Amino acid sequence: MTGWYPIFFKEILQFKRKLLRLGYIFSAMMSPIIYLVTFGLGLGKTVMLAEGTDYLTFLLPGLVAMSSMNNSYSWVASALNLSRLYFKTFQVYIQSPVNPFSIMVGEVLAGVVKGLFASLLIIAVGFVVPSDFSITPLFIITLLLNCFMFASLGVITGMITKSHEDTATYSNFFIMPMAFFSGTFFSIDRIPLIFKPLIYIMPLTHTNIVIRKSNLDLDGTISLTVLIFYCFIFFIIGSRLIKKYNE
Amino acid sequence: MILIDNISKTYGKTKALDSLSLEIRQGEIFGLLGPNGAGKTTLIKILTTLTKPDAGTCIINGKNVILSPQEIKSIIGVVPQENNLERELTVYENLLIYGMLHKVSELKKKIEEILIKMELSSKKHSVINTLSGGFQRRVLLARALLPQPKILFLDEPSIGLDPNIRRELWQIIRGIKSEGRTVLLTTHYIEEAEALCDRVGILSRGKLIAFGTPLELKRDIGEYVVEFTDNKGRLVSEICHSREKAHDIAKNKNDGVTIRKSNLEDVFLKLTGERIRDIERE
Repeated sequence: MTGWYPIFFKEILQFKRKLLRLGYIFSAMMSPIIYLVTFGLGLGKTVMLAEGTDYLTFLLPGLVAMSSMNNSYSWVASALNLSRLYFKTFQVYIQSPVNPFSIMVGEVLAGVVKGLFASLLIIAVGFVVPSDFSITPLFIITLLLNCFMFASLGVITGMITKSHEDTATYSNFFIMPMAFFSGTFFSIDRIPLIFKPLIYIMPLTHTNIVIRKSNLDLDGTISLTVLIFYCFIFFIIGSRLIKKYNE
Repeated sequence: MILIDNISKTYGKTKALDSLSLEIRQGEIFGLLGPNGAGKTTLIKILTTLTKPDAGTCIINGKNVILSPQEIKSIIGVVPQENNLERELTVYENLLIYGMLHKVSELKKKIEEILIKMELSSKKHSVINTLSGGFQRRVLLARALLPQPKILFLDEPSIGLDPNIRRELWQIIRGIKSEGRTVLLTTHYIEEAEALCDRVGILSRGKLIAFGTPLELKRDIGEYVVEFTDNKGRLVSEICHSREKAHDIAKNKNDGVTIRKSNLEDVFLKLTGERIRDIERE
């Protein structure tokens, strides 16, 4: 079961090269900081929250969840799509004596690292701005699960898209709505009842519920279970897509 | 070594391979010759587990490619038509990752050995994107040879290379054969098939239309070709089995008659009525 390591190693090697270009770090931080400034310091004042909660304390865990989702998902989906359709480097894995499960593990773990890195940048900002933002063990577990879940979803997208443009289409349909309607910027309690079932289907909603909790209550336990379920389902589907790969 | 039995593969309405059967012996260089779209790459993809056939079976070293892909993958090396090296990584990093994927023991030592063998030591830390096409091909070959595969698949190995580099590559491929490895290569270069291959299979529109040593194939159609211009100004050729017959034909023609030895392009022309290079242009 060490077949995943070369895949992980390669992805991290390439990631390291990109990190050395200053532009990458700034671009990874750009949109969360824009959201932080626009919502946290501007529009956020109009958002109604429970008594005693300041908006930045509410917003920062959501931004971490959103950023980890975007980075875990996009890096994996885009890199896999390009390596499969354009650079044909994915075929090297398929022609190697590595089982599909190991390929999946390697890709997902690399996605987790990329998601965590982007999250760390936001967390660092979180400690600079005035808020009661804190990190609990539950926060870390949720963050890891979120990265794992969206990296697995990234594999699915990377495997089923027929062109690189398709990844943007999937992102517009699934990732973008999740970023805005899953409780990142405002509480899902404020969403009309009719839309709630849709909101609760979105995996990021459950990340946002758990990541803001300091202790695991009933709501948190249900959301954590949903997250684990999504991780499992996405991982299995991704592994099967790799196993069934056929040109 | 490789037994291909009644393989068919269709993409949409296009029949890429049509009931193809073939046997490739251990230790030989076998060439699949044919124009683009003949089905050569599809066959390589099936044999290297990238594509599943619609019908038929392939046995490599006693194992069924579809039922036991993992066993097959551990004894093959592949040089694809397109450069699929990690372009932003160095030569060494590419070899290291590939060696890890193939669980090569004493990996670092073997990388050094293959770099020396392929005359790539000076490029060890060069990023792939900075190398010329010829060097990139060498790295692809070095990568495929690193796990010391029993069978090497080369899909159009010299495509896009200039003649000098192509000849250097041929020397390397001959060296691989001398180590006892089986080589299956695809090409649409007649000269390459004649210079390298012990036996050749000629593919046209997914079917195997001829099969044998280059010499046998040429003998079957006739070893001499008389080329001349007909009264409409078209270049016409006649194939004959003896030099005497060729001279007889040439005597009755006007100026501009050429007598030459037949080649595999003539074999293809005789069997299909088309020239490989004409189909390439279509």
